[in-house]
Amino acid sequence: MLLFTCPNCGPRNETEFHYGGQAHVPYPEHPDQLTDREWAEYLFYRENTKGIFAERWVHSTGCRQWFNMLRDTVSYDVKAVYRMGEQPPALAEPVSNQPTSISAPEGAKS
Amino acid sequence: MSLLEKPYFLMPKGSAEMANSVNNTGVAALRRSPAEHLWTDFTVGSVAGERGVTLREVPFQTMVGIRVDPVSEAGVRLADVTGGLPVRCGEVTTGPAGVSVLWLGPDDFLAIAPGDAQDRLPGLLVAALGDGAGQVVDLSSNRTTFELSGPSARAVLEKSCAADLHPRSFAVGTAITTEVGKVPTPLWKTGEETFMLFPRASLADHLGRWLLDGLKEFASDRNPSWL
Amino acid sequence: MTTEHLPEHPEFLWRNPDPKKSYDAVIVGGGGHGLATAYFLAKNHGMTNIAILEKGWLAGGNMARNTTIIRSNYLWDESAAIYEHALKLWEILPEELDYDFLFSQRGVMNLAHTLGDVRESVRRVGANQLNGVDAEWLDPKQVKELCPILNISDNIRYPVMGATYQPRAGIAKHDHVAWAFARKCDELGVDIIQNCEVTGFLKDGNKVTGVQTTRGTINTEKVGLCAAGHSSVLAEMAGFRLPIQSHPLQALVSELHEPVHPTVVMSNHVHVYVSQAHKGELVMGAGVDSYNGYGQRGSFHVIEEQMAAAVELFPIFARAHVLRTWGGIVDTTMDASPIVGLTPVENMYVNCGWGTGGFKGTPAAGLTFAHTIATGAPHELNKPFSMERFETGALIDEHGAAAVAH
Repeated sequence: MLLFTCPNCGPRNETEFHYGGQAHVPYPEHPDQLTDREWAEYLFYRENTKGIFAERWVHSTGCRQWFNMLRDTVSYDVKAVYRMGEQPPALAEPVSNQPTSISAPEGAKS
Repeated sequence: MSLLEKPYFLMPKGSAEMANSVNNTGVAALRRSPAEHLWTDFTVGSVAGERGVTLREVPFQTMVGIRVDPVSEAGVRLADVTGGLPVRCGEVTTGPAGVSVLWLGPDDFLAIAPGDAQDRLPGLLVAALGDGAGQVVDLSSNRTTFELSGPSARAVLEKSCAADLHPRSFAVGTAITTEVGKVPTPLWKTGEETFMLFPRASLADHLGRWLLDGLKEFASDRNPSWL
Repeated sequence: MTTEHLPEHPEFLWRNPDPKKSYDAVIVGGGGHGLATAYFLAKNHGMTNIAILEKGWLAGGNMARNTTIIRSNYLWDESAAIYEHALKLWEILPEELDYDFLFSQRGVMNLAHTLGDVRESVRRVGANQLNGVDAEWLDPKQVKELCPILNISDNIRYPVMGATYQPRAGIAKHDHVAWAFARKCDELGVDIIQNCEVTGFLKDGNKVTGVQTTRGTINTEKVGLCAAGHSSVLAEMAGFRLPIQSHPLQALVSELHEPVHPTVVMSNHVHVYVSQAHKGELVMGAGVDSYNGYGQRGSFHVIEEQMAAAVELFPIFARAHVLRTWGGIVDTTMDASPIVGLTPVENMYVNCGWGTGGFKGTPAAGLTFAHTIATGAPHELNKPFSMERFETGALIDEHGAAAVAH
C-alpha cells in the first residue's frame, strides 16, 4: 500500500486515489491540423519512463482534486507532489511531500 | 432571533421561500430514512459498558452542498449565512442555528443543520450565492447520518477506515472525507468518543450492517485470551 | 496431480556459450516469446546462426511469474485467430519438442456475475463458435457440476449467473515450457546467452547493424525485441516510441493441497482467476495495479481484494494460506492487444504489448514473429497487430470484450 500526500488533504492511503497517467500532456492547439501520426501520438503514445515519472493522480474519495506527482517507477518512492498547472520541481531542492497532520483548527466545534 | 427566523442581509423578495414553496408537513410524516429498517438492530447491537459502542441513525438532517470559491464575493456572502466557510482539510465551521460546514475540497463544502432548517437554509444559501459563480444544492435526501459513539467507537472505525484516526492526527472537531468499509463518506469527530458518518442513502444499508458487524466483538464481556 | 508424476529432467538442457562477434539475427529477451521465436526461426526458416540475449537468467521474467492459463476464447476475429492458432500449437508442441510440459486441457471457465456479463459472455460464445473456437455457455447448475467447490448461491455479492467454458483450454507448467524450447533451440544451434544485458544499438543510418551489450558488441543483420515489461526502454535506446505502458501484475500461491479444483475459473468482474497447479498449490492472479511500474511488485490491497473475491467464490479456500506473492511487469496497450511487427528502424522488429495474455500466446507469438523477422513482412496472423493500427484506427479492442483478466 502506497501512502500519498494529497496537496489538500495530507497523507492518505493509495486506495483513496485514482491514477491519471503521464502529466503535462497538452491538448493539441490545432487538433484539426494534425496528421494521423500526430493524432495517434496524442491519443495513444505516452512516456513509459523507468525512473522518475511525472504523473497525475486524483484524490477521488477525498477532495476530488487532481494533482501532479513525481514518482520513481522502479522503487515507487514519491519524490514530489505539486498542484495542477505547476511545473515539476527540481529534485535537488528539498521535496515538499512530508506528511502533515490534520489538527483541530482554532474555534472548531468540540 | 436566529438566522433561520430572520435573514440578516438583503435578499430579493421571496427568494428564500422559492426553494421550498410547498408545505411539506404532510409529506414529512410519510418519510422513511435510509436506515430506518435497521434501527432495532442498531439498538440491539449497541454495546454498553467499558468497551461500549453505540450506533444510531440521525435521520433527516438538513444538508446543503456548496461549490464556491471561498474568497470570492459570493463565497463571502455564503459565509455570512453559515457563520464562515472552512479554509482547509479537517476544519469545520459552526454558525448560528446549529449550522456546521464541513470542508470537502478547496471549493467544495457541505453545510449540515438540524432537520427543521430544511425549509429555510437552502433558500437562504441560494439567495446568498445570487448570480455569483458556484452552486448551492439541497442535498438533504442524498445522505443520512450515522453516529458512532462510546469507548470502542474508534476501534470499530479503524477496522475498515484507512485514515489515521489517532487523536494526535484526528482531533475532536475535525472532519475528513475518506472511506469506511469502501463507502465514501465524510467522517466528523464531534467528541472524544463520538464520530458522525454521512453515507449516501443507497449505501446506508450496507454501511449500517457493516458497522453492526464491527460492533459484535465488543459485546463480549472480556478481552480475547490472546490480548 | 502429485509430484511423482512430474518428469525427470537432465541437469543441463542447453549450453552456455559466449557471444560470437556476429549473428544473422539477435533476439533480445530470453523468456517464452524469445525462445519460441528463436525456435521457429531455426525450424521454419532455417536461421540457426542466431542468438538469444537475456539480461538475467533464462525465463526469469514474466515467464516465471504468470499463472499459466492457456485459452483462445477472444471476441474479435483477429484475436481469436492468433490465440486459437497458439492453442493448436500448444496441443502439438509437447510431441514436437519431445518434452511433456504438462499441458493439461482441463477447461477454462469465465464467470458472469451481472446481466451485462451474461450478455457479453453469450455474445462471445457465439463469436467464438463462428471462429471455430470451442466455446459453450453454462448455466449456474452446469458450472457447479464442472466445479463443485464453486459457491453458486444467489446471496453473495457477485452471484454466479453462468459462465463461458472452453474445454480445450487449460494450464501448462511454465518453466518446463521454457526448458522445452531452450533445449530444442540449443539442439538447432541457437546460442542462448544469459547475463547479457543490451545497453544500446548500432545503426547505419536508420538500419540496425548491431547490439551493444554488457558482454561486448555483437553485429547482426536483424534484431527482434521480445522483452515484455521493458519494451519501451529498448525502443527508446533504438530511437523510436511504443504505445506501451508498463504495469505491475500480481499473483500468489497457497501451500500444497489435495486436488480440489478440477478446472480453471476466471472472473473478470471481481478480478481473480484460480487454478490448482500440478503439485497442488492454488494459483491465483489479480488485475494490474493502476499505476505505471517497473518494480516487479504491486500494492497489497490488490491482493487483498483478490483473496476476498476468491474466498467468496470458493468458501473452501477460507483456511488456505498465502504462501508466496509476487509481481511481474506487463506491457499494456490502449486496446489490450499485442503489437507484433515492424518498427520505424529498418531490420528491427518488435513483439510486445501482450499485456496480461503473453503466456497463452507464446507459440503463436514465436511463429508469427519468426516469420516477420525472417521475411521482413508480417505473417497473416500478426498483420492486424501492427503498430500502424493506432494511426489507422483499426484497433482490436479486447478491453472487456475478451474477459481480459488473463
